[in-house]
Amino acid sequence: MSRLHPYTLLAIAGALPAFAWILPPPSGGTWTAAVALVLTLTPGAKLTPGASPGTTGVGSSPGWRPGLGVFRTAVLTAAPFWLFLLLLHDVPTTIAIGLRITTMVASFVWLVAALAPARLVEAMVASGWSASVAYLLAATLSAVPMLKARAQRIVEAQRCRGLSPRGGVAARMRALRALALPLVLSALHEVDERALALETRGLVPGIRRTPLAPPPDSAVERAARWVLLLACLFALVRRLIAPGFS
Amino acid sequence: MRSLLLDRASFWYPATESPTLRDVSLDVAQGEVVALVGALGAGASTLLLVAADLAPRVTGGRLAGSVARRDRSGIVLPTPWTQVSGMAFTVWDEIAFGPANLAWPAHEIARQVDRALEHLQLAPLASRDPATLSGGELQRVIIAAILAMDPGLVLFDEPAAELDADGAGMLWRLIRLLAREGKAVLLATSALDALPDVADRVVWLEGGAIRAVGTPDLLADVATCDAGLGTSTATVWRAAGLPAPYPLTVAQAVRGWR
Repeated sequence: MSRLHPYTLLAIAGALPAFAWILPPPSGGTWTAAVALVLTLTPGAKLTPGASPGTTGVGSSPGWRPGLGVFRTAVLTAAPFWLFLLLLHDVPTTIAIGLRITTMVASFVWLVAALAPARLVEAMVASGWSASVAYLLAATLSAVPMLKARAQRIVEAQRCRGLSPRGGVAARMRALRALALPLVLSALHEVDERALALETRGLVPGIRRTPLAPPPDSAVERAARWVLLLACLFALVRRLIAPGFS
Repeated sequence: MRSLLLDRASFWYPATESPTLRDVSLDVAQGEVVALVGALGAGASTLLLVAADLAPRVTGGRLAGSVARRDRSGIVLPTPWTQVSGMAFTVWDEIAFGPANLAWPAHEIARQVDRALEHLQLAPLASRDPATLSGGELQRVIIAAILAMDPGLVLFDEPAAELDADGAGMLWRLIRLLAREGKAVLLATSALDALPDVADRVVWLEGGAIRAVGTPDLLADVATCDAGLGTSTATVWRAAGLPAPYPLTVAQAVRGWR
């Protein structure tokens, strides 16, 4: 799947949640959640470029390997929503909204795992977008796994210093504080240096970058994206003009 | 011809009362290597950011005095892992990131990238994922990435910090080569022993101001040695209680001893 054009991956990841909210529950949400969860089992992105020795990008960070790792991440991220929904609503409403949220979560998790930010930047630049806008979008996609990898390293470092993340609530809260503070501070510090580095390497607002290796965009994929868009519009219109449809 | 000219430049970081740079006047000519030395907090890194037009434009803060640049500048920061684009699968692509942002034609990008790979002896790593490189390798990639943008003014902030002895030796030779090609080089480093062979001029910064400017012989002065900024040879000579003038290099020490 990661060989698909980035726009196609974005279209799939965008269409599934759209269908989940447009199509009548619970059947609509059931099949969109099922498709999204199956997608998380497909091979993910190639190793994404990282930063330093020991810092990793999307594909190389723990828990973001293609296959069961991505599936597990999607399920574990969606699970708390089900719990809260069950506390707030009756069972049919919980199922209806829960399936939609599961679709959204699974689609996003799959997108992050399958879409290499570098390919997205190349694709956007090739289609005329400003490189800084493309970088902003791609950096957002890569931020979650990069922070996750950094948090893992901080946990390991704190363990080496004798801090255990296990035990009672008080011990876990202490461990959380010891994790959160260096995570936030180091991320903020790195943001400053990264801004300087990107600036000196010519990534300034409004530039028109030379595409180095734009991903191939076949006619079939372009057509598929249009089909997805039209199908979403068709489902939306049908839902609006035919209330019985819901 | 001057590539960089600072005239009584002072700089304040945001939300600070006292300036980090104070009345700094300095020029760097094309083909010249100027080294900044000083204790921690002397202002060398800030001076490089000002010279690179990153301070105050990106960092914020306030600049007084004037800064004139004739050429496009490129700066190598001391931490290579914060300088990778995060948008390249290979070392080749990482080095091409900057030239591509300059919207150069593809053939010119390829020429500059291949040249930078050759200069930094990185050709064997060209297809490696940057995330898998060691600190020293990554530092060389970042230096290559800046050089591939063909800046007229090259600014280095502790460029040898991540390099081993061989890598550092290659870097110093490269800096001399850049000067021979007509580039202006401004270098902040604590690798003082390399400077007699690398720098044309040495600028001693203290508390954000210029304390002294001179040839690399400055690194064997009594005052610089007192400040801990002498070369190893001068420092050892002084520690042994031998009289000034201190030798700058081992070769000078041998000649003086005989």
